[in-house]
Amino acid sequence: MRRRHLLKATVLMPAAALPMPAIAQAPKKIAWLTWNLVHLESHIKQWIAGFVAANPGAEVEWIDKKGPELPAFYQTQLVAGTPPDVIDIQGALGLEYAGQGALLDMTALLAKDSAVKANYDADYLSNWVFEGKNYMVPYYVSKTLLFWNKNRFRDAGLDKPPATFAEIIGFADKMKGGEKTGLLTLNFDWLYWPFMQMNGIDLLSPDLKTPTFNTAKAAEVLSVLADATKSGAINGISWTGRWVEPNEAFATGNVGMLHAHAPAYFWIKGKGPWINGETVGATHVPGGWATPNSHGLGISKGSKNPELAWAFVKHITGNVVADSLARTASVLTGNRTVDQAQLARLQKDDPAAYDVLKTQFEFTDKMCGNWRLGNDSRVKDAFWPEFQSAVLGRKTPKAALADAERRVARELRRA
Amino acid sequence: MTDTRPDWYRRKRTREIATVVCFLLPALVLFFLYRILPLGWNLWLSFQAWSPLKPAQFIGLENYQEMLLDDDVFWQALGNTLIFIGCSPLAIAAALGIALLVNSDLKGAAIYRTIVFLSYPLMTVAVGIIWRWLYDERGGFINYVLRQAGFITEPLKFLQSFDMALPSVIVADFWQVLGFYMIILLTGLQSIPQHLYEAARVDGVPARARFLWITLPLLRPSIFLCLVVGILNSFTAFDLVYVMTNGGPGHATELLITLIYKAGFGQTRFDYAAALTVVQFLLLVVLTWVANRAAGGNAGSREG
Amino acid sequence: MVVICVLMLIPFYWVLKTSLTGENIYAYPPAIIPVDPHLFNYVDVWYMIPFPRYLLNSVIVTLMAVCGNLLFNTAAGYALTRDFPAKRWVVLLLLSCMLIPFQATIIPAYLITSWLGVLNTHLGIALPMLSTIICIFIFKASFEAVPRSLIDAARIDGLSEWRVMVRIMLPLSKPAIATNVILNSIWSWNAFMWPLIITRSPEMQTLPLGLARFLSVMENTTGALYAFVVLVLVPGLAIFLMAQKEFIQGLTSGATKG
Repeated sequence: MRRRHLLKATVLMPAAALPMPAIAQAPKKIAWLTWNLVHLESHIKQWIAGFVAANPGAEVEWIDKKGPELPAFYQTQLVAGTPPDVIDIQGALGLEYAGQGALLDMTALLAKDSAVKANYDADYLSNWVFEGKNYMVPYYVSKTLLFWNKNRFRDAGLDKPPATFAEIIGFADKMKGGEKTGLLTLNFDWLYWPFMQMNGIDLLSPDLKTPTFNTAKAAEVLSVLADATKSGAINGISWTGRWVEPNEAFATGNVGMLHAHAPAYFWIKGKGPWINGETVGATHVPGGWATPNSHGLGISKGSKNPELAWAFVKHITGNVVADSLARTASVLTGNRTVDQAQLARLQKDDPAAYDVLKTQFEFTDKMCGNWRLGNDSRVKDAFWPEFQSAVLGRKTPKAALADAERRVARELRRA
Repeated sequence: MTDTRPDWYRRKRTREIATVVCFLLPALVLFFLYRILPLGWNLWLSFQAWSPLKPAQFIGLENYQEMLLDDDVFWQALGNTLIFIGCSPLAIAAALGIALLVNSDLKGAAIYRTIVFLSYPLMTVAVGIIWRWLYDERGGFINYVLRQAGFITEPLKFLQSFDMALPSVIVADFWQVLGFYMIILLTGLQSIPQHLYEAARVDGVPARARFLWITLPLLRPSIFLCLVVGILNSFTAFDLVYVMTNGGPGHATELLITLIYKAGFGQTRFDYAAALTVVQFLLLVVLTWVANRAAGGNAGSREG
Repeated sequence: MVVICVLMLIPFYWVLKTSLTGENIYAYPPAIIPVDPHLFNYVDVWYMIPFPRYLLNSVIVTLMAVCGNLLFNTAAGYALTRDFPAKRWVVLLLLSCMLIPFQATIIPAYLITSWLGVLNTHLGIALPMLSTIICIFIFKASFEAVPRSLIDAARIDGLSEWRVMVRIMLPLSKPAIATNVILNSIWSWNAFMWPLIITRSPEMQTLPLGLARFLSVMENTTGALYAFVVLVLVPGLAIFLMAQKEFIQGLTSGATKG
């Protein structure tokens, strides 16, 4: 019995060990973790092939994970001591990993390759500066803007997008009724923050040590948002949906305004054939505020081949590959050469898309909602549920803000 | 094992024990590696501040302090977990009803039994997807029926609603586990000696009383087993919650097990997750003890 | 009873129906009987995902788990029918282990598996599932039901310890074996959280992971998702339906008495 079991184990062992990537043996092997890019598989394989051709002997393992799975996956790989060398991370998570010491400091590498550095859009590049050091470079970039449904506006007797917070709410109120609502916003990753920022509310003090949002003004804004949600001027999905639900709702044509980042345009256009330059406008919210939701590439500190990883990062964000990405995925890359060409091309071929994408390089100094915190996701988890309760009318704004302040302060204390 | 025994006997005895040890060892090693060691490790970890990027540091009860005093989400997840477990007697009662029906002289009982049990072997992830679809506000069956019957005019968003999400998940869980409860109870019912009923019938005991005084008491071990399964179910429901709501909206469907996953693998807080695990384990032990009492004292001892 | 059965079957039907429906699965009111049913979604799913690969992984892991369970559980179950010092403690230990749900040990279990160096392998996925306490007790109960005289007779005939087991005990424990095989194949076939955590590459993903991933990529926008669900469910249901008689018999003799 026992002997048989041993025998079986020895038979199984090599079979089981086979699929294990031979990380230790291949000295020039790196792994690249992307964030939900499976649909680009054929292109990605080409880009990797290009890199391998330029770097003989190098080997690139490509892993892709969907948003909610990626952080969990990265954690497990950190524990196992096999973090993917190059990682594609969305939004503030990169700062968080930087804060925890998972990422390689790229400042020196960038300084050495000054031409490369100069070609990254400076404001987007600075999205991932933590304690004065660069930890990631832009891979594909976006920030929020306001889409307005010109049909709904016209029906309500309006002819231009709102210029103040009061106008946003007032216009939304005019456009509501029956199936129709006035305003939708995405809410994940602080994307709703411009509504607070345009009212002069700051989440934290400049030193990021104390919450500063619990003010009379904030309570007033929250109660305005809550009332508008209750009346149907603001669509309730704004506070419960993530990505699919709000965009899908806007694509039905029943919603007046959508506050979302640029990629939403191509998504809703795919769902709503009525959408074009005549029917949907793209503009900035009052004050030009926007929350970035960009993807960046970073290098794990645990990488065994950091030079090769850096070369790979330069390859992927370099003109050739970035241009290929920009064309296939209709995105902006943060690579200035590529983005200028992309915008010029779109201005000619697809003016509506051009109108949307050009907003991404306007007011880039007015990006809000990304704090240089090492524990951003915990602060977010402390703040958001309270905000959500307030706007959904489950708590009074005052109580919600007080609870949020207590919870955020606790997270900051523990950082 | 006294020395008065002959030599050959002792040799045989040694061999026998060696065999027993050999036979037991693989299973024991496995349970040591994947049950006992992790439990101890969790306990030790829960007193530390540790992440893959930071060396461990002893911080005493700080994790527990945070959990019990500061963490609202923990209390919500705990409450949800208790609701989840607290609803299992409902499913067990329903399963008991079905088991009684199947056990009576119903025609085609075997077919009914198969149909009711059919949902248990299903992959929980698939169950989650199936129920997401049933609850869907456009293509979903439930909204369709409710709208056709005129109960509602607007589709209900079951899984996006703070009040309905948890019950919705629990219903899906019922559907899956009902058959398992039924089989357990059915085997319990079938092991009750028939002559007890006959004697009672001869004595003119009414059916209600027969159920109360014969069936229920003799079913205690099965009911206890069902309760334990129900409690353990709050752990395995991870798959279901992960697929159906991922804990949302807000934390309306957060269970302790999903919170542990999020803390550990989402936020690099393995230390805090370990403390949560310890609390969850204690909860489990206490609840099992309560279930044992509720099912009539030493029901579990039959297992030994 | 008929009503209950209909209620239990509705979810199956609804998914099957959706998987056969064409493009617009959101049409309201939804058709009760699929209009113009076709297999387009199934073809679709076959090309969209590496279904055979997921299937192979699932089959390998399930086979490993079932074989491991049969070996270890029969051995341990048999050992528990014998007398040996500290038996009481071993039984107590096993019973208390039964109270530790695997999900609650997930973090150290991950660290241990990483330390054993079998992350992202079939063996790593199957390892924690190689033995199940409840099944050990099912075997113990089944072995104890074998008449003592039969075993003694065999011993007198000079049969060795493990021959007694293979020749006499196992053939008499078919229901227990069936229960074991079915329970473990269900559990390992459906296991989600553990493989989710320890697999790294898509080539190692099992069916439930593939399914969850497909869901998160597509959301529920396509009938192909439901075709996938049906494809995943069929093997499990088939195994169960084929062996359900032995299974229920095994549970009856074991679970409540064990």
